[in-house]
Amino acid sequence: MKRFFIRLSKIRTAVAALLVVLLICLLCVVSYLDLPLTGFAFDETSDAILLDPCPQHPMGTDELGRDLLTRVIYGSRLSITIGVLTALVSLVIGTVYGAIAGYCGGKIDSLLMRIVDIAYSLPDLLVMILLGVLIGRGTLGILIALALVSWRGTARLVRAQFLALKSEEFVEAARAQGQGHLKIITRHLLPNSIGPVIVAMTFTVPAAILSESTLSFIGLGLSPPACSWGTLASDGWRSLQTHPHLILFPSMFIFVSVLAFNFLGDGLRDALDPRTRSISKVGKEL
Amino acid sequence: MFAMIIKRVLSAIPVLLIIATLTFCLVRVVPGGPFDEDKNLPPEIIKNLEAKYNLDKPIAEQYLLYLGRLVRGDLGVSYKYVDRTVTDILGDAFPVSLQLGLAGLTIAIIVGVPLGTLAATRRGTFIDVLAMFISTAGISVPVFVIGALLIYVFGIWLRLLPVGLWESPAHMILPAVTLAFGPTAYLARLTRASVLEVLEKDWVRTARSKGLSAYATVSRHVLRNALVPVVTVLGPLTAILVTGSFVVEFVYAIPGMGRFFITAVMNRDYDLIMGTTLLFAVLLIFTNTLVDIIYHFLDPRIRVED
Repeated sequence: MKRFFIRLSKIRTAVAALLVVLLICLLCVVSYLDLPLTGFAFDETSDAILLDPCPQHPMGTDELGRDLLTRVIYGSRLSITIGVLTALVSLVIGTVYGAIAGYCGGKIDSLLMRIVDIAYSLPDLLVMILLGVLIGRGTLGILIALALVSWRGTARLVRAQFLALKSEEFVEAARAQGQGHLKIITRHLLPNSIGPVIVAMTFTVPAAILSESTLSFIGLGLSPPACSWGTLASDGWRSLQTHPHLILFPSMFIFVSVLAFNFLGDGLRDALDPRTRSISKVGKEL
Repeated sequence: MFAMIIKRVLSAIPVLLIIATLTFCLVRVVPGGPFDEDKNLPPEIIKNLEAKYNLDKPIAEQYLLYLGRLVRGDLGVSYKYVDRTVTDILGDAFPVSLQLGLAGLTIAIIVGVPLGTLAATRRGTFIDVLAMFISTAGISVPVFVIGALLIYVFGIWLRLLPVGLWESPAHMILPAVTLAFGPTAYLARLTRASVLEVLEKDWVRTARSKGLSAYATVSRHVLRNALVPVVTVLGPLTAILVTGSFVVEFVYAIPGMGRFFITAVMNRDYDLIMGTTLLFAVLLIFTNTLVDIIYHFLDPRIRVED
């Protein structure tokens, strides 16, 4: 564990990415406090409409005179929360599903994996739109819809880990000691497969942020008054020609946070598997 | 090889049947019907419409009727685009998405694979870091942001290229680049990882020590082996790209399949949803079979099997 952190700290992009991720999470937490920012959220003096970036409004204002910086900070609340919660929910579903398939093996395994294959063959957008109709297109609806299309990868990953680990000697030893199935799964198999699962989760967060913003952008996700980076970009799209700053800033926040999560995922993966970073002599020479 | 293709075609039938059944159930389970959003139709007219399209029959009967038509090659009619059959609509929209998808795919392969190879062979150097930064950035940008940026720079600012509709080859450039952006980055990352793994192999050292130049080693031996995982993802990627990206079609106002699919789902245009989903599934099976055949040429050790 300690070695892992030492290796991680040596990957400069990962450390930088981690800092950015922490900053964005902090931004998200701050947005829940709503205290100091509400003051200039709504600029009632209506001459502040559609201002370009200026000292009072670093990111300009929108067509209702609302300060874009404030809106972007508020947007982080939904965007980041949806991203992180989607990853957590799909992690739980995928891990339980994959653990059952991998541990039981045999017929149960092939049945469960066929179901995953079939779930993969349905278009994601079809599933998400129809789920949106069933559970409503609020924050919760989007969250459930995103989680339900992103658990499949985790399930496959956990299953593969379990299949590989299950025949290891320490599992056999645990079984010989008379430990039950549940205990073997939770005490021995899960802790040993947690690494790749965490890496997969780090990649699910940016994927969910991207999906949410894209859905909201095309009008199938959140819609105003809900405010996420996606809905802000969607608003900005309409005035691309005249006021490009309205789409520029929310897009930048989406880009930077997704980029940071992706770099962090890369770093975690490399730190977990040092082999992928070793430089062979031949490789160096080429 | 021929036997494999026959086997694939035969095994595709149950797969398509399962997908058809699932989509059928999924679309009908969700509340709402094709005539909900019409302006306050009197219930009698809705009843007549439903009777006309057999929507008043029990679900099981509707399902069998649909399958019966499907077997005869009849994909049904659209409830929204009056007087147009699904075959007709797909016949108009698919070629557009196909052109756009193939253009995007070509860009992605031509740029992505060399970029990944370059990064892997120059591992740890500035070129590698730069290539990986670009490709990680590429998978981190939402498609609509790329679209907005390109439209702003080339359409509004420089006034060089048309930014919407589908009329001339020039209209294809921006959408194709937008569509290619993500896949290019993805292919570059994948190629880099795969080439790095192959470079570790002992026979690479052998090739070098017998005096083969670095360039020849990579182009003749390494790439051929490293491309196997790349080709694997090209199967589903091709199917996804040629069936149309809704976002790209939305941003550039292109009349492709992606748009028809989304509006069909929103309107519960049942037969059009089914037709689009099945076309996608057929393409997916087709490209995956193609991938298996390409494997055989890349690495004859990979058995072409059922």
